[in-house]
Amino acid sequence: MTQTKHIEMRGVRKTYPFFTLDDLSLDLEPGQIMGFVGANGAGKSTTIRLAMGLIAPDAGDIRVLGHAIPEAQGAAKRDIGFVSSEMRLLPHTTIGWHMQFISSIYPEWDAPYAEALVKRFNLRPAQGSGGLSQGEQIKALLMLTLARRPRLLILDEPTNGLDPVARHEVMTEFMDVLRDDNRSILFSSHNTVDVERISDRITFIDRGRVVDCNDKEDFLERWRRIHLQLPPGVTLPHLPGIVSRVVDGQFSTLTTNSYSDGLLALLGNTVRDVQRMSLEEIFVANVFHHREARGQ
Amino acid sequence: MNIVTRKLVSKELYVNRWFIAGGAFSGVVSVCVAALGKAGFSVGSLMWITAIIALGVMLALYGVMNERKERSMLFVLSLPLSIADYVRAKMLGLALCFFIPWLVASVAAIVLVLAKGDVPDGLVPYTVLLSVYMLANFLVLLCWTLHVNSEAWISAAIVLTNMGVSIYMFVVGAQPGLQDHLYGPTPVWNQTAWTILIVELGVIVLAFTLPFLLAARRRDFI
Amino acid sequence: MGLVFDSELSIHCMHSMYSGINISQTDARPMYLQIMEQIRARIAVGDWAAGKELPSIRALAAALSVSVITIKRAYLDLENEGVIFTRHGKGSFVADVNGLAGELQAEKIDEHLAAAAGIGRQLGLSEEELATRLRRAIRNLDKK
Repeated sequence: MTQTKHIEMRGVRKTYPFFTLDDLSLDLEPGQIMGFVGANGAGKSTTIRLAMGLIAPDAGDIRVLGHAIPEAQGAAKRDIGFVSSEMRLLPHTTIGWHMQFISSIYPEWDAPYAEALVKRFNLRPAQGSGGLSQGEQIKALLMLTLARRPRLLILDEPTNGLDPVARHEVMTEFMDVLRDDNRSILFSSHNTVDVERISDRITFIDRGRVVDCNDKEDFLERWRRIHLQLPPGVTLPHLPGIVSRVVDGQFSTLTTNSYSDGLLALLGNTVRDVQRMSLEEIFVANVFHHREARGQ
Repeated sequence: MNIVTRKLVSKELYVNRWFIAGGAFSGVVSVCVAALGKAGFSVGSLMWITAIIALGVMLALYGVMNERKERSMLFVLSLPLSIADYVRAKMLGLALCFFIPWLVASVAAIVLVLAKGDVPDGLVPYTVLLSVYMLANFLVLLCWTLHVNSEAWISAAIVLTNMGVSIYMFVVGAQPGLQDHLYGPTPVWNQTAWTILIVELGVIVLAFTLPFLLAARRRDFI
Repeated sequence: MGLVFDSELSIHCMHSMYSGINISQTDARPMYLQIMEQIRARIAVGDWAAGKELPSIRALAAALSVSVITIKRAYLDLENEGVIFTRHGKGSFVADVNGLAGELQAEKIDEHLAAAAGIGRQLGLSEEELATRLRRAIRNLDKK
């Protein structure tokens, strides 16, 4: 029996005066963590808001946890935990009030777990919502979300404004969520180091379009920087899968997105060094490659 | 009304508790001031009107505009509700936040007019009409802020509704059907008074139901 | 459903079971290779004895704050090397020629042979015919 995908977006389009999200497709399976990486203004928040039903698409289909979005968003949100770095707690109240508020709406609220999170995130229930720093706001919101144990977590830049210790605590909690293979996480982030570490799948988005979407290990295995030294007069044959080529006299650097032993063999002893690429380097190379292809 | 909407309405009451308490308190205090002689009456009436207007403005500003600006709206929208549920809860919640102190202040005012010897009871209809007008005024403002996203337009509405009160008092106070009986010994509910009251109630119903028909159907809330 | 922890303490205990294994972000080698090396090291010195059950893929992923597919890859490659073996539905275990691991593998073979014997009986094969077929299967393996 195939399980329902947690998020299914097909051909989604959303048009704004100066920005269009176009032909967006995204799939999130249960038990998966998907990292969503893109520059500012690429469309990450727009995509996430579409998934939450806060805005409606101009075209395309969206289903979250099997529910049609935005029509059935009330039912879907029963099982979704949504935290955005822009979100704020309600004014003139306390963290403790929010805990009581959430627990009265969601029967799955785990009070002992909430207490543990409060301690671990260094919060105090008596703290007023008005005086919280950005980091404390996010930690409080994450605590309120995690303690309900929602099946799907949708997180828009959840580690913005967090100091390294808090980030570590928060990432540890996310991974704990994945102990249950019926739960999943979609999180967008600038922090490619975190994305590289914990994501199963990664989606790159740029200027309103999905540029690439693959298993993290695939990305890390397929992309390489190859440093060559070509004696004068020697030119390289046409090579498949070369995304960029930088030439500096006798020294060339190739960037490839389809690294294989075959490619290495083709290049023979011109190869001085082969380097793996970090997710950040892969992302940047990928984006530039796609912008070129689109004539941008 | 489902549990989430109910919880949001009580949240609205809780979050705005100081406005509610403050509004009721100011209303009663201004009525007390109005009880102190003729000068007191003028001052007290002015205080009473100001208190209710201020209450309305605060609720519109903090209840809707700031929630949007401060992005705590995102928190509420993450709850298991639809956009329609959110609009309903906001409308009911904020209307209730205004209604409670307004009722206290209005009843206090009418009691004063009836009880105070040197204030003619003929003022009762006018007081009621003014009172109901303030309620209608607030609901129109609330309806406007739920449909309009720009701070500029909302500020404009606040200014206009404030001006509206003065214009109302002047225009309605000058209606012959009312003016003739204002300072009479007994409250006179004639056709003029009833017509004005019915129009006000009509506006209240319209302002209250419009968001359920329009804003609730919106597909984009951000 | 996932495991529910009642207190901070039990989560930290869980983490400390594998706290020795560490992934360095600044290490040039990919994460799955680092994990493989550290598991191999523990097996080599005997800290992880033959036949010991490895943590489940999800549990280790959670404990190290690393994605599930990275652990899956590490386990797969370790199994291909013969350092560990996986019993479907039961988990992964440290491999060894002798000792407990050997017993577990012997159990596995006995299960398969019992099944073969059962089918042989159903088909009406004699003991001789069954033995012949087994020998042929072994010879076919050697040919590949």
